[in-house]
Amino acid sequence: MFHIQRTPEVYDVVVIGSGAGGGTAVRVLTEKGISCALLEAGPMLDPAKEFKEHQWPYQVDHRGAEEGGKFYFGQGKPFGYFTTTSGGWELEGEPYTVAEGSEFQWFRSRIVGGRTNHYGRMSFRFSDYDFKPYSMDGLGWDWPVSYEEIAPYYDKAERFIGVTGSNHNLRSAPNGQFLPPPPPRAHEVLIQKSCEKLGIPCIPNRRAVLTRPWNGRAACHYCGQCGRGCLTASAYSSAQVDVFPSLKTGKLKLFTNAMARELLTDGNGKVTGVIYIDKTTRTEKVIRGRAFVLAASACESARILLNSKTKDYPNGVANGSGVVGRFLMDTVGFSLSGYVPALEGLPRYNTDGFGGAHLYMPWWMVGKHDQLDFPRGYHIEIGGGYGMPGVGSFHGAARRYGYGAQMKQKIREEYGCTVAFAGRGEMIPNLHSYCEIDPDVVDQWGIPVLKFHFQWSDYEWKQARHMEKTFTAIIETMGGRVRSLSDSAREKGGISTPGSIIHEVGTVRMGSDPRSSALNKYCQSHEAKNLFVVDGGFFVSNPDKNPTLTINAFAWRAADYLAEEMRKGNV
Amino acid sequence: MSEELVQPCARTTRRDALRNIAFGLTTLGGGSLTVEAAQHVHSAVAAERAAGPYRPKAFSEQQWVTLRRLVELIVPADAVSPSALDAGAPEFIDLLASQNPELARIYYGGFAWLDAEMRRRYGKPFASAKTEQQVAMLDALVEAERLLERHSAEEAIYRRGGTYKMFSRYTTQPGTPLAAGVRFFDWVRKMTVDAYYTSAVGIRDLGFVGNTVLSKYEVPVEVVEYALKRSPFGAR
Repeated sequence: MFHIQRTPEVYDVVVIGSGAGGGTAVRVLTEKGISCALLEAGPMLDPAKEFKEHQWPYQVDHRGAEEGGKFYFGQGKPFGYFTTTSGGWELEGEPYTVAEGSEFQWFRSRIVGGRTNHYGRMSFRFSDYDFKPYSMDGLGWDWPVSYEEIAPYYDKAERFIGVTGSNHNLRSAPNGQFLPPPPPRAHEVLIQKSCEKLGIPCIPNRRAVLTRPWNGRAACHYCGQCGRGCLTASAYSSAQVDVFPSLKTGKLKLFTNAMARELLTDGNGKVTGVIYIDKTTRTEKVIRGRAFVLAASACESARILLNSKTKDYPNGVANGSGVVGRFLMDTVGFSLSGYVPALEGLPRYNTDGFGGAHLYMPWWMVGKHDQLDFPRGYHIEIGGGYGMPGVGSFHGAARRYGYGAQMKQKIREEYGCTVAFAGRGEMIPNLHSYCEIDPDVVDQWGIPVLKFHFQWSDYEWKQARHMEKTFTAIIETMGGRVRSLSDSAREKGGISTPGSIIHEVGTVRMGSDPRSSALNKYCQSHEAKNLFVVDGGFFVSNPDKNPTLTINAFAWRAADYLAEEMRKGNV
Repeated sequence: MSEELVQPCARTTRRDALRNIAFGLTTLGGGSLTVEAAQHVHSAVAAERAAGPYRPKAFSEQQWVTLRRLVELIVPADAVSPSALDAGAPEFIDLLASQNPELARIYYGGFAWLDAEMRRRYGKPFASAKTEQQVAMLDALVEAERLLERHSAEEAIYRRGGTYKMFSRYTTQPGTPLAAGVRFFDWVRKMTVDAYYTSAVGIRDLGFVGNTVLSKYEVPVEVVEYALKRSPFGAR
C-alpha cells in the first residue's frame, strides 16, 4: 500500500456516511467537543442550487421531461425532475448485481445528507412489541433492546428534529413528543369517516416537518414540496439540520467525494483507519481515528465490512458471526387508488399542506392474528388532493377518454377526485434475502460490488392481499370506485419490487449473542470495540414503521455511549 | 400565443420569493404568492417566441403544420381555456425531438404513416384534409387502441392458461392494421397533454391553486362540508 497518502491527523471519531445515522452521530459527538471526520461519497450539498422548490413546470423548456424527453423513455430522474434525489436506482460506474431468480432495486444517494434530502419524513417510533417479535410469534429474532430503553432517545430525536403528531394511547402508535399536526384535507376527512366505520384508526400523521418555528428553524410554509428539498429546512434533512450546524463547531472536518473502501485494523481486533477513494483525484487515501462509525446505509456498510478482510478478521471486519450481509429486509409495499365521486366539483382549494398526508392509519389488529393468515402488520399511507400537474399526471385519463373536448372536460372534472393508499408492512427476515460481495465485478473505483439475493415469502404476499382487501373496503365505504388491478397487473404489481420502498435494513444486525449478531445493543461491534454501525444495518426486524426515526434514535444513543466509553478510556 | 409563456418578468422574481422565505414567513403575514407573482419565465423557448415566429428545429414545414393540427385536435379550445397551441405543445415536442434522435424518428415515422393512411383514405395528407376527415382518422385510431387494449387483456388471461403456448400464434396477432398509428398517436397525445397541463393556461384550467407560500395551512370549512354532504356519510 505504498501509494497510499496518509493524513497525519488522527481524529477522535471517523464517521462514514452523512445521512440520518451519520448526521446524528457527528452532531451529538461534536456537541460534546469530540473531533470528527465525516466521509461522504458524493459532493457537498448546496440547497440554493440543488433544490427546485417552488418552480413551476413551465419554467423549464422540457417541463420536467428532461432533455430529449428522457422521462418518456424511463430514463428520467427517479421520482421526477423536480425532486432533489441525488442518485438513483443505477449509478454510473457504480453497479451492483442481482442473482438469477432474484429481484432487487437499490437506491443510493451520493450527496451530503444522502436520502434524507428527499425522503417522505414519515417518523414513526416502533411499538413495544416491535422489539420482541420472536417472543410474540416465534418468527425472526428479538432485539437486544426494549422499548423502554430506547424511548428516551425517541423523545430526544422527536424533540430535536421536530415531528408532528398527536397522542392516542395506541399500542401500534406509541405516544411521543409532537408538534401540532396540520388539519385534514377534504378527502382525508372522508377517508377518516370511512375508517371509523371499518374500525381502523386514522390519526394525524407523524412527519419530520415543523409546524411552528423550532430549534432555530423556520416553520413549514406549506408548499407541499418536501421531496424537492426544503430551502428553509422546515422538513428535516441531516445535511441542513445535523451536518451544517456541526461544521460551525469547528470540530468537524467534512470530506466530500470520499468513497470508503475498507477498514484497516491493528491485527488485534481494533480498527485504526479507513481507506477511501478521493473521487476527484482518483487516489486512495487513509484517514486514521480512535473510533469509527459506519453510516453508509445498511448495504453499503455491509459492503465495506465484507471488503475489509484483515488478518484478525478473515471474513471481514466485525463479521466473526458471518451475519454481515444476511437477513436483508425491505418493507412490504402495495398501492391501490380509487375514484371518489363525492369529490367531484369540489370548490378548488390549496391541498399542498405540509407535503405528505395529514393523516395515516397505524396497524389495528395487534394481538388478533388468529383472524389473519399472515404475521405482523402494516400501516397505511394516504395520497390525494390537487397535486401540482406534471409530466405524466394525465396519461391515464388521456387514454381513457381518447382526445378532444370530451377528454379535456373529463380531465378537469376528475382532477383531484382520486385517493390512493399505500400499505407499508413488515417483512419476516429469511435466509434467501441477503447481499454478498460479487467476486466478478468491481466498480469504477476498483471496489468489489454487492450481489443481491431476495425472495418475498408467502407471509408478505398474503399481507399484500390483506392490504388490497382493506383499501378496497375503505374506498367503497366512502362511495368510491376502486381502480382495480387486472389479474395480470396483480401478478406483477401485487407486491412491491424488493428494495423499491427504500427501507432496506438488517445487514449488520444487533443482538445479545455474538455468534448470531454483529453488534451489541449500542450498535457497537461485538468484536471491534471501537467500531459502530448506525445506519439501517443494525435492524433485527423491519417493523411497519419507516426506519429513519429509529436510525436517528439509535445513532444518538450510540454516539452518547461512544463518547462515554471514550471518556472512560474503554475505546 | 399565450401571454403567460412570454410574460418576461412578473412583479416578484423567484429570487425575491426565496429571499422572503429565508427571512422568515411571518413577514408575509397570511398572504401568499399568486401564480402570476411566482411566474418568472426565462426560458429559451419564450425568448425565441418573443423574437418572432417560432422556427421548428426538428421538423419540416409540412411536419410542423401536421403537428400543430394534431395538438389542436387533442386539446382544443373551449369555453374555459385555450388550446394546446397556446400552451406551447408543438414547441415542447419539437424541442425534445431536436435533442433526441430516437424521439425524432418516432415522429418522422409517425407523420409519414399518418399522411400515407390519409392519402389512402382521402387522397390527401393529414394537414390539408378536411376537419371531418382528420377527426374520423383520430376516431379510428382511438377505436383501434381500445381493441388493442382488449386484446392485450385477453392475452394476459390466455397466457396463464395451459393452452397458451399452443395458440399463442393466434393470440399475439396485432388485430388491427392501425397498430403503428395507434402507437404514434399515443406519443403525440401524451406529450400534448403533458405540455398543456404543465403550462400556465393548463394549470389555470385545472384550477390548481397551490405552489404558494403560506404562514398557516387551513382547510376551508365549506369544502369539507361539500364533500361530506355528497358522500355516504352525509353532512357533519
